[in-house]
Amino acid sequence: MKRIFSHLLPYWRQTLAAALLMALAALCQLMLPTLMSSVVDEGVYARDFAQILRYCGWMLVLAAGAMAATVASRKLSARVVAAFTASLQGYVFHKVMGLSHEAIGRMDTGTLVTRSTQDVSNLSWVAAELSGSIISVPVLFLGGVALTFQVDPVLALVVLCAVPLVVLAVVLVGRRAAPLWERSNAYIDQQNELIRQRLRGIRVIRAFRREDHEQEKIAKATREMASNIIRANVAMGSVSPIASLCFNCAALVILYLGASRMESGVSAATGGDILALIQYVAYIMSGVLSAAFAVVMVPRAVVSARRIAQVLNLPEDGRRQGKEATLQGGITLEHVTFSFQDGAEPALQDVSMDIRPGQQVAIIGSTGSGKSTLVQLLLGFRQAQTGELAFDGEDSRRLSGACIRRQISCVLQKTAIYSGTIRENVAMGKAGATDGEIWRALEIAQLAGYVRSLPDGLDHRLELSGGNLSGGQRQRLAIARALVKDAAIYIFDDSFSALDFLTESRLRACLREYLAGKTQIVVTQRVTTAKNAGCIFVMDQGRLVDAGTHDQLLGRCPVYREIYLSQTGGDTP
Amino acid sequence: MSRRRAPKPTESVSVQEGTTIYRKLFLEARPIWKWLALSCLMCTVIIACAVAGPKLTGQVTDQIYAFWEAKTAGQAVSGLVQAILPTLGILLGVYALGAGMQWLNMYLMNNVVSRHYTCTIRIRMSDKIRRLPVKFVDGTPVGQILEQMTDDVSTMGNSIHQVVDVLMQGFLQLIFIAAAMILEDWRLGLVVLLTTPLTLLLSMAVSNVAGKQFSAMFQRSAELYSVVEESYTNFSTTRAYNLESAMEDKHRVAKERSAQAYEKAMYISSLVQPLTTLVNALTYIALNLVGGYLVVKNLAPVGAVVTMILYARQFSAPLEQIAQGFGQMQRTVAASRRVFRFLEEPEEDQRQGAVDSRQVKGEVELSHVTFSYRPDQPLIRDLSFRAEAGQTVAIVGPTGAGKTTIVNLLMGFYDISAGEIRIDGRPLSQMNREEARSLFAMVLQETWLFRGTVAENVAYGCPGATMEQIRQACRDSYCDRFIRTLPQGYDTVIDDESATLSGGQKQLLTIARAILANRRLLILDEATSNVDTRTEILIQKAMDKLMQGRTCFVIAHRLSTIVGADRILVIRDGDIVEQGTHRELLAQGGFYAQLYASQYDKAIS
Repeated sequence: MKRIFSHLLPYWRQTLAAALLMALAALCQLMLPTLMSSVVDEGVYARDFAQILRYCGWMLVLAAGAMAATVASRKLSARVVAAFTASLQGYVFHKVMGLSHEAIGRMDTGTLVTRSTQDVSNLSWVAAELSGSIISVPVLFLGGVALTFQVDPVLALVVLCAVPLVVLAVVLVGRRAAPLWERSNAYIDQQNELIRQRLRGIRVIRAFRREDHEQEKIAKATREMASNIIRANVAMGSVSPIASLCFNCAALVILYLGASRMESGVSAATGGDILALIQYVAYIMSGVLSAAFAVVMVPRAVVSARRIAQVLNLPEDGRRQGKEATLQGGITLEHVTFSFQDGAEPALQDVSMDIRPGQQVAIIGSTGSGKSTLVQLLLGFRQAQTGELAFDGEDSRRLSGACIRRQISCVLQKTAIYSGTIRENVAMGKAGATDGEIWRALEIAQLAGYVRSLPDGLDHRLELSGGNLSGGQRQRLAIARALVKDAAIYIFDDSFSALDFLTESRLRACLREYLAGKTQIVVTQRVTTAKNAGCIFVMDQGRLVDAGTHDQLLGRCPVYREIYLSQTGGDTP
Repeated sequence: MSRRRAPKPTESVSVQEGTTIYRKLFLEARPIWKWLALSCLMCTVIIACAVAGPKLTGQVTDQIYAFWEAKTAGQAVSGLVQAILPTLGILLGVYALGAGMQWLNMYLMNNVVSRHYTCTIRIRMSDKIRRLPVKFVDGTPVGQILEQMTDDVSTMGNSIHQVVDVLMQGFLQLIFIAAAMILEDWRLGLVVLLTTPLTLLLSMAVSNVAGKQFSAMFQRSAELYSVVEESYTNFSTTRAYNLESAMEDKHRVAKERSAQAYEKAMYISSLVQPLTTLVNALTYIALNLVGGYLVVKNLAPVGAVVTMILYARQFSAPLEQIAQGFGQMQRTVAASRRVFRFLEEPEEDQRQGAVDSRQVKGEVELSHVTFSYRPDQPLIRDLSFRAEAGQTVAIVGPTGAGKTTIVNLLMGFYDISAGEIRIDGRPLSQMNREEARSLFAMVLQETWLFRGTVAENVAYGCPGATMEQIRQACRDSYCDRFIRTLPQGYDTVIDDESATLSGGQKQLLTIARAILANRRLLILDEATSNVDTRTEILIQKAMDKLMQGRTCFVIAHRLSTIVGADRILVIRDGDIVEQGTHRELLAQGGFYAQLYASQYDKAIS
């Protein structure tokens, strides 16, 4: 919580100025009832027009002063809240960008997105609402009490008691509503996830004619969510009637006490004083009520703050520190064992490999054989529990994650396309890549023809997640991005799966030439993709079963032979 | 439109459009008008209490005032407390009634109005998705739709609640007090009534400007949302390329633009309240001046002026409320407009023509089909082919040649621009879309599993399936074995992102789903590209069984899987360049032969 509000710290000057201005405005406002009483007492009753003019002049000055102070204060607080929001959004985003892969796996993307956007906005809404009243209400309250105190201490006591009572009511209600809000947010996440799923699966849903079912599911979630929110809103909505009843009763007590004390002669209060007192109560009430509207939002903000704090508390990627080194491309794995969770079946078991700098190797295996896990280890996304992974003989744990990744260029199984132009997407591999380099990469990735056919070429804008590209085009764009990057090691994790054979064979011929001298690791399920590699590692159920050339493996490795036969249809010409 | 939609400009709401939206919002209230009427009634009571309260307080203070004047004049007076006690009693009753009614009204508003505007509209938006063309969903970022369904709807619902509440109460209170004032003294009443429209005009003008700023703000925050969503979705690639700081830069730009828009909107909307307060003070001053003049000139009694001044103060409270209400309304309009726009998106046209799936033989014919995603880039030109019932049609060709597009057209996800698709000789355009679609089962390149158990996912196309049928389908698709190794077997909860399943296993489940659905027509789009090659041959066997007696369209990159097809369509740049059986095409020595050779070249040589 502290970390969240520390983002307000840099703006303490503006915050203070806004608060002072707000206090000034509140004071001006507080003076108005006194002046109003004076107009009546000394002007209208006394039939003195000059006096009326004078007091009206003062009122005009005060009203204008209150207005100017309020406007200036709002200007400042809008700036502070905007800056606070931006700062917090930036911080949460930064934090998520630095999370470990384990942490990311623990929360789904939907809730992370909500927490970094919606929850931060919730906080700032409340901050904005509060900024108006957090200062003016205490000023109105204390000023009002002070003014009353001069008139009659006993009556001042009534005002003094009423406000804490209302505050207590607000706090009690808020405590009841907080868990409701928390649950509501969970429902909102759930509903978002359902809709996201539904939109993504629209083809399958329609093919299986299950739109009704999906609709029902979402409607049910929506109804539950709405009921929860309404329950919370009702709890919060009770604050206002309770508060106004409290204040009205306080006014009643003041009238009664005022009258009886005046009658018995204990109090020195005048008729005008009592009139002014009632007005103070009204002022304080409207102030407290508007503050209450903001305060009822506080539990919501607290829930959001907690949700943000949960993100901030997730473990960061531990590989930020470490030595920098220039990699030559040699990779050694020695008895590496890794499992995603403690006690779970290892995804990689006792894997040892040796890849020389500049070697072109392939890793082949069926799904679930641990190929992609191996890639995650190589990229430093995850750490092996036992065994050692070394680059050029240097233990990878001693190198910083960023250093390793700077020198490995990788196309991941799940292709990532960023909104922006084709140029921007490719240039992500190498900051400041020239158009020549980009075209070269596109050429090798077999995408240059497509890009050339576009009216705006490299400047063609891609929609979010590359929605306007086919699967094959997305894959080739990701390959181009990997190629434009200067690295010692190139990894292609199932990166040719959406390409047809003709395109793939052309692409791989180009790669052989372009990446000569670089370490190249092709992870695949296809024999045709793997077979020309200098060394093929065959993986099965988390273990390395054999390694060798195509011909060697075909002769001695049953797993490899089985894969080969399945893909050629057992049909050997 | 020949061009793609340009990035949305900053939205601004014209007065005319604003009116249309208010009208729609108002019409939206039809189903709950009885409750609104009840709320009106309660509001009247609340306001009567609100007017009676100060009136009675005034009476009491008058008595206190008179007592005090008499006392200071040296007269012996007593019995003040006795005199005011009955009024105080009534006052207590009035306050209690007012508070009670206020609570009841709040309860009603939340349970009826808020529920109606948020829950019902959300469900309706969700229902809308059911009828939206796939084209719209493909072309709209998911984040945007989500934002409309959650943020915009809740902005709309929450503020509607406040708008109705505040405006209704505010206006009623104004009317009450205005009437009371005119009755008290028409000249002074006029002073107040003349300055009131000024306040309203002023606050409306400011709100109007604020509304535009709010639209801009929503736009900017949606952009920020997109950046965040994209960055998180592409997390692994971002990290693999050390792009964290580049993404943070992108985020910073979006964030700062959003902050600027936010600041502007907040500031301008906050002007309404101090401006109203100022105008109120001016009203008050004018009242004092005119009243004072009248009193001095002996044109009005002192008491009337005092009462008027008391009323004028009451006048300001509802005015401020109304001003706030207007501010809220702008936010409502900005949000509602996007909600209504979504609800009014053109829908898939409903096609008439019942389809009896049991009667369908499964003969499919495309004749002279033309289609393009964009009018300036024709993708498919004059495509014709015919698949007899039970035949397997394989579609091959380089990527981007339009293979997936054929699936989109067969399923009626996109509409052809010319030509005709016929099933059993009956044009697709004369068949109910839903029923026509349900003739097909499909397995797509990108797997889609929803959050639910394995069994639920497999039974998706056949909701009434028994556990035994589900198991059988899983055995046929060779996923029974790995399902049983899952922690809860068939009851294990999975989804697309779950790490418990590999890509290939997910694909196998979607195949099991298609097997269980048991449809006349089958579409396999790259169905085997993700499947573990060792089981592929087994799947192939299962598929052979499944494909018997069904018309199948297979799009696969592995030529081995389509060697046995009855007909192979070789597609290149949207045209069928060759068609025939595997042997015929090889004999032709054309493009297909080249494709085939390129695979076997690598696999065998």
